[in-house]
Amino acid sequence: MKRLAAVVALLGLTAVTACSGGGTTNESSSGGGGGGLFTTIDVNRPGIDPNGPANPYNPKGNSFLGYNAMKLAWVKNHLTDPNQFYPGIAESWEIAEDNSSITIKLHAGNKWSDGRPVTAEDVRLSIGVAYTQGSTAFALTPGAAGAAADVEVVDDLTVKVTQDMTNPSSKFARGVLDTFVAPAHIWGSVLPDDFWDKLKASRGEGEDAEKAREEITALGEKIIAFAPEKDVSAGPFTLERVNPGEALLVKNPNFYNAANVAPDQVKFLNYTGNEQIWNYLISGKLDHAGFTAAPADVMNRIKQAPGTNIIKGYSPVAVGMAFNQTKKPYDNVHVRRGLAYLIDRAEVTKVASPEGGTAAVTTSGIHQKPAQEWLGAELNNLEPYNPDPAKAEEEFEAAGLQKKDGKWALPDGSPWKVTMTAPSGFSDWIAAQENIKGQLVEAGVDAEVVTVADYPLYLEEIAAGKYDVGFWLIALGPAPYDIFQRLYGASNGWTNVAGKITHSAPGKNGNWMGGAEEVEVDGTKINPGELTGKLNSVGAEEAKPIMLQLAKAANQDLPVIQLWDYVNTQFTNTSRFTGFPEQDSDLLRLPAGVWIQLGMVKKTS
Amino acid sequence: MTVIARRLAGHLARGIVMILVVATISFFIVRNIPGDPVAARYQKLLEQGMSPEAAERATAVMYGFLPQGSMWEQYVDYMTGLFRLDLGVSVTHPGSPVTSVLLGAAKWTVLPVLAGTLLSFLVGVIMGVYAAIKRSGKLGDFLAVSGSLLHGVPQYVLALLMGAIFTTLIPILPQGGTADILYEPGFNAGYIGSLIEHATLPVVTYALASYGGWILAMKSSVVTVLGDDFILAAELRGMKRTIVFRYVARNAILPLFTILALSLGLLFGGAIFIEKIFNYPGLGFLLIDSVVNRDYALMGGAFLLITAAIIVANILADLFYSVIDPRVRSGEEVSA
Amino acid sequence: MSSAILETTGTAATMRRNFWRGVWRVMRRKPSRLFGAVILLGFVFMGVFGPMFYPEVLPRDTSKLYAPMSAEHWFGTDGQGRDVLAQVITGSRYVLLSALVTAVITVVLGTAIGLFSGFKRGRWDTVLMRLTDMKLTIPGLPLLLVLSTVWSFGSALEMGLLLGLLGWGGVARAVRSQTLSLRERGFIEAARGLGLSTSHIVGKELLPSMAPYIAMNMLIAVTGAVYAQVGLFFLGVLPYEADNWGVMLNLSVFGGGALTTTAALPYMLAPLLAILLLTLAIVLVVDAMDEIFNPRLREE
Repeated sequence: MKRLAAVVALLGLTAVTACSGGGTTNESSSGGGGGGLFTTIDVNRPGIDPNGPANPYNPKGNSFLGYNAMKLAWVKNHLTDPNQFYPGIAESWEIAEDNSSITIKLHAGNKWSDGRPVTAEDVRLSIGVAYTQGSTAFALTPGAAGAAADVEVVDDLTVKVTQDMTNPSSKFARGVLDTFVAPAHIWGSVLPDDFWDKLKASRGEGEDAEKAREEITALGEKIIAFAPEKDVSAGPFTLERVNPGEALLVKNPNFYNAANVAPDQVKFLNYTGNEQIWNYLISGKLDHAGFTAAPADVMNRIKQAPGTNIIKGYSPVAVGMAFNQTKKPYDNVHVRRGLAYLIDRAEVTKVASPEGGTAAVTTSGIHQKPAQEWLGAELNNLEPYNPDPAKAEEEFEAAGLQKKDGKWALPDGSPWKVTMTAPSGFSDWIAAQENIKGQLVEAGVDAEVVTVADYPLYLEEIAAGKYDVGFWLIALGPAPYDIFQRLYGASNGWTNVAGKITHSAPGKNGNWMGGAEEVEVDGTKINPGELTGKLNSVGAEEAKPIMLQLAKAANQDLPVIQLWDYVNTQFTNTSRFTGFPEQDSDLLRLPAGVWIQLGMVKKTS
Repeated sequence: MTVIARRLAGHLARGIVMILVVATISFFIVRNIPGDPVAARYQKLLEQGMSPEAAERATAVMYGFLPQGSMWEQYVDYMTGLFRLDLGVSVTHPGSPVTSVLLGAAKWTVLPVLAGTLLSFLVGVIMGVYAAIKRSGKLGDFLAVSGSLLHGVPQYVLALLMGAIFTTLIPILPQGGTADILYEPGFNAGYIGSLIEHATLPVVTYALASYGGWILAMKSSVVTVLGDDFILAAELRGMKRTIVFRYVARNAILPLFTILALSLGLLFGGAIFIEKIFNYPGLGFLLIDSVVNRDYALMGGAFLLITAAIIVANILADLFYSVIDPRVRSGEEVSA
Repeated sequence: MSSAILETTGTAATMRRNFWRGVWRVMRRKPSRLFGAVILLGFVFMGVFGPMFYPEVLPRDTSKLYAPMSAEHWFGTDGQGRDVLAQVITGSRYVLLSALVTAVITVVLGTAIGLFSGFKRGRWDTVLMRLTDMKLTIPGLPLLLVLSTVWSFGSALEMGLLLGLLGWGGVARAVRSQTLSLRERGFIEAARGLGLSTSHIVGKELLPSMAPYIAMNMLIAVTGAVYAQVGLFFLGVLPYEADNWGVMLNLSVFGGGALTTTAALPYMLAPLLAILLLTLAIVLVVDAMDEIFNPRLREE
């Protein structure tokens, strides 16, 4: 009996291993055939959900941007101009000089994957859906900046959208074109027949309008849950099937540029942690992967994989060490400057984000790439805060801090400890804070790192003013307003309601930075929050002097110490496909599906 | 039989009460968690380079999925929903009811854990008999200590070691996922082969982790039986060793079936570390994910399902025990 | 090993006399057990005195990130250029202290409730055992995962307290059934008949005969607590503590790529090795105790 059981158990094991061998070989033979299989991951969405519908509005939906989910056009995220695009569902567009309207032309003869034509009606329906989802151009909030006033179907292939000029925004066209387009013949039922009347009713003031807005917002939930039976796409691919680990897309022959779409199939791999992406990359499995942080040794292994091609570009984010200026001694600008002189940003970046960031050249509130465009030569006139212990000492003394037995203490002699907080799970932030802690302790400033359970809690507590020092994302480009609203926006007391800027006292309305309402820049007092608000409505040339003033304010007043600017490092593999974007291309800020649909990616011959 | 029926009824009633209690506990723990998941998602999207307006748009709709109303109203809603198997709507899987998300993940936990449990049971029991019989020899000693070690070492240590060996040093097994999507799902060699290939690491690791427990339990059970009078009598009567062995094995294995029934309770929640390390999309994985993303409804639901499985397994184990233990069958009082 | 059913042959006094002789015999027969005891003592030493050998903030060397094993750095360095071995040692205090707290709470609560329940019987027994059943039914790790969102794990004491409060069920159940079996043998009635007080019966008669069993449970509780907390830190659901074994595992795998390349492998292996050694030590010691106190397993 015992021998039999043992034999059975062993047989079971060999069967398992035998099958696994078979599986691997099968994959390589069946995968290589046809016009090519493009393997990738969606870095914005770890975990593939087999329950997710083919619905671009659903965050877990199996609609992959640029592959089977299409927008009117693809935002280039140009360094300074928010209104540059690549064609998507729209072939071309015309933006009125004063930004008051945009006229969109669709591709002639473009069809959905089920053969029905793509028309202006699809666009109109999609705009209706956008209203339920809280869009910028299609916002229900009365007085929202850059909202549309009217949507007009001119003919089968033309749609004109006009802006409500009471609170205009230079980003209006971007808000319009950055809209998903769904097929009206499938999605038509999600909006009630009287939707457009309701929308009109929601425009006014008073109870009826309020009720209409509520009804429209309530539709949003239904739309997110909407699950079309079959994926009908106007993109280069349609969804074939999904399992919990992978999703398979096949080429859509009806796509307007199908002749230039190289891959026959696209496979999305599931991942839940970076370490999986590293393994995929090292084994050369992926044709493309978006930005993924990797330690140096892993990076070397990835580079050794045959065909690996690493492209770097600009990522419109930077991270800063932010101070709560209601807490002592951080209310004193000399303390902040002293810390800026103490921290070696290059070392911090090397430890925390060697591949995904470059040390900030200075604190300007702007990512170093667009900073050159915005500030020009003035960028070099900003104080770079190079590591300089002597200057740090000077600043600390100016702040009245006392040095006792090689340790800095507060002016009243009580001990000073820089307590930095980070959400657990943000390994690069924690690594950076650990490194800063080491640097500060060496310089005689006591420091500690505290983590909180998770990001939601971190945001709630930082907004409640519970932390002395925390990390904060800044410089969110490319729109100038977005860049500075992270420094001189709600978190620092200025709120923008219907184009009007109001300032709240520290501790109120989410003001946790608690900076002064007016800052002295080169001897004159400015109100950085109001200046930031102005950026919303001005063009690029008008914005430049304001940007300079704000950059100087950030540089001299240091509400944050800009630590590193993120770099958009992407991985491609040229063994199977070529024609990937150049270094620094604006396409790097768009999904690889857009590269494919624009016809850039070619099969390696 | 009526005794067993009465026992069953009692157990069922107690099981239901327990499930309600657990549901209540998980409801209140889960609703008291601080932190705003919507704000967090917004910031996360920003960090990924999404423009503020797109991030706002992506998060705005999530508000609709967060439970509204006072705590008490939410509680009543939750409990009444429970009877309709309605556990609410998941924030991280918008539009999908928690129940369907859970069921989707559950099958990826049940199969590997079941396979792993049976595999380890089979091997563990056989090795356990050996360890007991040869307990004075080197082999028995080795088996016992290896059993204790494997039993003692936490799952994640084994899983990390297995992962380091089979996905990094000798990369022959896939890391994560359930099957290659290129195969049409269904009863075909390619798909099933791919399924097995992907399940190998989780199954073998689970089997290794639980094998130690079986070997120890079987060893001590055999040792107990060996000391019983009827074995001694059999030996004295000069019965063949193989027959004695059969006697021993049959009597020693009975209590293990109860433990087996109990361990089936871990079908849903027994492989949390393994799923995390091998990226296998089961319930444990879902639970961690929901904790990290503060998905209240999903967290509560996963926890409830995992606990309910254990309650049901306990009832089954007790029934099984009733069937094999004559004292219970005859209605005699058994002191727990 | 947990199947130790006590043979309550001798009284406390004779037990004590035979005890050390028995310990020595068992240890001598299998030197590996002595080895286990030595390792266990080593861990205690490490937890108590280890952190004193290092500065509060470990020195870093940013030119040596994930350095390989060398004479200078036995287990290499981490992503900040800090010595890995030093972190295992400084981190042992949190891990071991909280495990100790857990073990003490588990054993004290479990024994008290088990004794009380088994001794009093009746309604209290029913209520307490229902409660125990419930605790035993609710799965530990999932519960900890859910609780990790509300409980503060800042200090080793808080961690130990929570794990202890969750862990007493098994001990309570076992102690109760031991008490019941002692009672069934007329043990308690006899003592009552001699006019001994309840506190005497519990303190002088019941507890000593259960002590070895309880001690074994305590050791097992220590391993359980170590696994649970290291596991929670590894999963990354808890706030990070600078040098905790679980945090090291987490950072090595998810930050350093220990499962991807060999550079961070020593960083992962060091805490794993510490856990394995600790487990081995406790397994060996419990095995020895089992044999000392459970004559049935002793070989002819």
